[in-house]
Amino acid sequence: MTPRARLLVFIGACACVLPAAVDVVMHMPAFGVHPLPYGDAVNRLGTAERHVTNMVSLVNFDVRGFDTLGEEFMLLCAVTGVTILLRGARGEQPTAEPGYAPGRPDVRRSAAVTAIGRVFAPLIVLFGFYVVLHAMTTPGGGFQGGVIMASGCLLIWMGDGYRSWRQMMRTEILDAAEGFGASLYAAAGLAPMVLGLPFLTNILPFGQPKDLLSGGLMLVLNAGVGFAVAGGFGVLFVEFLEETRAVPLGGGE
Amino acid sequence: MSLLLDLLFFMTAVTGTGIVLSRQPGRQVLAIAANGLVLSLLFTALQAPDVAFSELAVGTAAVPTLFLVVLISTRIDRTPRSEAKE
Repeated sequence: MTPRARLLVFIGACACVLPAAVDVVMHMPAFGVHPLPYGDAVNRLGTAERHVTNMVSLVNFDVRGFDTLGEEFMLLCAVTGVTILLRGARGEQPTAEPGYAPGRPDVRRSAAVTAIGRVFAPLIVLFGFYVVLHAMTTPGGGFQGGVIMASGCLLIWMGDGYRSWRQMMRTEILDAAEGFGASLYAAAGLAPMVLGLPFLTNILPFGQPKDLLSGGLMLVLNAGVGFAVAGGFGVLFVEFLEETRAVPLGGGE
Repeated sequence: MSLLLDLLFFMTAVTGTGIVLSRQPGRQVLAIAANGLVLSLLFTALQAPDVAFSELAVGTAAVPTLFLVVLISTRIDRTPRSEAKE
């Protein structure tokens, strides 16, 4: 198809879609005005019923806790798929050297870059831990904190290079964290059923509002998500970065 | 507040167009990160800090890093450096 014909098809498609799009835009509620009652209900009931002040965590771990279980296992499946595909292609070999781009000079990193990575990586991991812990009181939660922890470790990759980073990322710990987190979520959902209550019933004491330990069962679910996401993203980064090793396809074993 | 939102919406459109118009993969990765940064600022301004956290960590850090690693992987020489120097 020539660019001219492609443009004509595009204009024709626009002419078909545009009236419908304009109609939808004209009937949308005004910016910032929401006609549905659910958000207001959650804001009204969250602190009274569950003693938490972060309503996003309330929705994720209590109102639609079952959906979050599904998301947890989606992440687990996605990470498992990536691991099977990539580990199968080049094999494990955690000690393999990184490859290099041909023609690019081998410039040593400056001491400042290395120092910044070494100083800020632990601080960012600590901040991620803080975000996981304060899920019930302030914005954040297991997912956000887990991703922050896994991403913060990448500063070591940028500052010290692949080999130091790979030594730091212990795959067995990351795998265990991922599996433990997902099964902790499922087990916390099953625990109320032992007492004859529905799946994921919030059976633990709710605690004081604005307290670190408020929200009851949501705390356990949040910890499960934190473990699973930190481990899952860690495994994801390890599997992708192992693609930069100087190992040919087939593993070279 | 409204001026800030207008500015952020405009920057979202500009950085989004930037992703589409950048043709070199390495630059496109940085354009995605820039768009993610603007989006996380927009979510913060719209009082959605939870989503802003996720967008900042996933859209600005994790996804561009994975794309960068894929680009590195396609351009890399697989002979170990110690052997190549001999």
